[in-house]
Amino acid sequence: MSYILAKSKDNAILEAGECGGAVTSIFKYLLDAGIVDGVLALHPEEDIYDGVPTFVTDSEDLISTAGSYHCAPTMVGDIITKYFSDKKIAVAVKPCDIRSIEELIKRHKIQRENIYTIGLNCGGTVSPMTGRKMIELFYDINPDDVVSEEIDKGQFIVELADGSEKGVKIHDLEKQGYGRRDNCQRCDVKIPRKANIACGNWGAEDGWTFIEINDEKGQELIDGAKSAGVLETKNPSKQSVEARSKVENIMIKMSKKVQESKFDDAEDMDAWKRCIGCYACRDICPICWCHENCELNKSYFKDELNIPPEPISFQGVRLSHMSFSCVDCGQCDDVCPMDIPISLIFDKLQKKYYNRTGYIAGVSDDIKPPLYSPDKIEL
Amino acid sequence: MFEIKHTLCPSCSVGCGINVILDNEEIVGTFPYKRHPVNEGKNCLNGRLSAENVTDRHPFDLKALNDAVNKLKSGSNEKTTVIFSGNNSNEDLEAIKSLCESNGFNILAYADNLKGFDSVASYEDIENASNIFVIGNILYENPLVGRRIVRAKNNGAKIYVNDNLENTPTSNIADEFTSVSVKEFIENNNIDEESVIIFNKVDSFEDLNLIESTNSNLLPVYSKSNTKGALNLVEAMSKEDAIELLNNTEILLIFNDDTVNEIDFDFKSISQIVVFSPSENDTTEIADIVIPVKSWLEYDGSFTNCEGLTQKFSSLCESDYMSITDIIEKINEGLE
Repeated sequence: MSYILAKSKDNAILEAGECGGAVTSIFKYLLDAGIVDGVLALHPEEDIYDGVPTFVTDSEDLISTAGSYHCAPTMVGDIITKYFSDKKIAVAVKPCDIRSIEELIKRHKIQRENIYTIGLNCGGTVSPMTGRKMIELFYDINPDDVVSEEIDKGQFIVELADGSEKGVKIHDLEKQGYGRRDNCQRCDVKIPRKANIACGNWGAEDGWTFIEINDEKGQELIDGAKSAGVLETKNPSKQSVEARSKVENIMIKMSKKVQESKFDDAEDMDAWKRCIGCYACRDICPICWCHENCELNKSYFKDELNIPPEPISFQGVRLSHMSFSCVDCGQCDDVCPMDIPISLIFDKLQKKYYNRTGYIAGVSDDIKPPLYSPDKIEL
Repeated sequence: MFEIKHTLCPSCSVGCGINVILDNEEIVGTFPYKRHPVNEGKNCLNGRLSAENVTDRHPFDLKALNDAVNKLKSGSNEKTTVIFSGNNSNEDLEAIKSLCESNGFNILAYADNLKGFDSVASYEDIENASNIFVIGNILYENPLVGRRIVRAKNNGAKIYVNDNLENTPTSNIADEFTSVSVKEFIENNNIDEESVIIFNKVDSFEDLNLIESTNSNLLPVYSKSNTKGALNLVEAMSKEDAIELLNNTEILLIFNDDTVNEIDFDFKSISQIVVFSPSENDTTEIADIVIPVKSWLEYDGSFTNCEGLTQKFSSLCESDYMSITDIIEKINEGLE
């Protein structure tokens, strides 16, 4: 593992990118050198709150994916499994994205050699409509006038077309029920260290991207992009490295606090009584990939008279199958039509599993979760 | 090429957005549309399967269309009835209405025994209400309206539910649950002008007048994506009136509707049934002539949801078929 500061040598990318445009430039290098068939990234469809996954095959089109979209809580693990298993791709990943990819690699659904993962440090994401509402309410700004947003120094900051900025403390927003998604508030994996490189602005000098190089493939990416003339780099100062580490640690500490305050709520959730048995939570889960053979497809689970299903016979089955591999991406919460905070209990169980086994889904180096390991030990 | 495109869910009248995934221009699935103001990326099972449910159709056959036109020419206009279905876009409905008016065909707009109301409650009204009266299992059948009821409850609203089934997601969030007639439910409760009544079924067409007489905020939730749009153009019929009209029908034109599963009637008693459909269903099975048409994924149009919001949708993929508006233009040319 090593650190560098990097920035794009392409002025258009530098302008459009979040902090130095290194991510977009590395994608450009991979495409132009023919190393990958395409790049899977987000681009704003209607506006900045509408980040949609897109597959870019021409580096000229990469500019539309530059910048960061905190109001686009997407997940790429299942997209790669379903649509890109036969392609060589580069992909931008948040920590929960790379954690899901790691778990899917263990399940032989993604081939590690086929993907280049460019990690994005993540302080959390905001649901698009929540983001719009909170900008109206707490910033007194028309959300349509916002040209970009970022999470920095504990604030959610919006920028208007005239360059002016306004920030509100995330803590204050979350106290009022806005701010980051519930799972992001609990998440304690902020830097995607399983990605080949992890990029972000924490600790970076203005106009530079701070990159943590996590493995050999990551080093090759940086060396290749430099040789291709699309990226310049320099070493970060000791202060930069420390500042970045401080940001990460503060965020993790805050997350642990939220975990402590919220996990008890999972014990007796009245919300299960409004479950409509639509399977949206299962179908969106990047870890739950074996839908076709799923026990929950059996006719006795599909009976309308079983709706709402008994939590133990529906979520209980799912919990026993995959909670140890839950990456706390929150997609199940996002798609539940009944607003059931499903990820809470899955995340709680994963943490319990970690306390017993030391296994963190999509983070630990173990080849498989201990439950599947041939070397079982008594706990 | 992998693409994700925005569209509207056609499954009911709530007006949810949904993303469709295309792989090499072929529709392969759906994806949450989290930026959509109605549903924020949440869809029911019907919505998630909506794009995959567009089945293969027979190739378009001009002869079948000519046969249909000839049947219309030789038939009696007063005995010709057209099903005016909320499955069609506003633009197609305008064309269908115009076809009926210019030829004197009967229009049959049946909406599960519900009708249109001039003023309806918005989804925001639901979330801000203090008392909500729910008729039917709305949480299960129309979950993204149901979600607004849940949010209202979280905001402190009192929820009264009337349904024939107990232990449903809807009854489980009720502060008071009853299983009585709609008439009794309305008469036995103190429903004032500030209340919201949400319903997707009634016992009879007469119940609607009773519900209307409360002067409260009403939200009928229809089973089809554009029934509100359809009922902005024509009046809904009761089940009894619909059956009477069908009894006097010799030629029945059905545009994009599975009518045989909605009205309990012996459709085989009708001499000629011509169905224009983007997919095969029980109604195409009993039809004399079936003319395949574009699905909502293949043309531009708009739906008006149950709260009265009109939303546009765009064609997402190429199609070899004609839209209903184009088909009607051909029919008009043939009838001239």
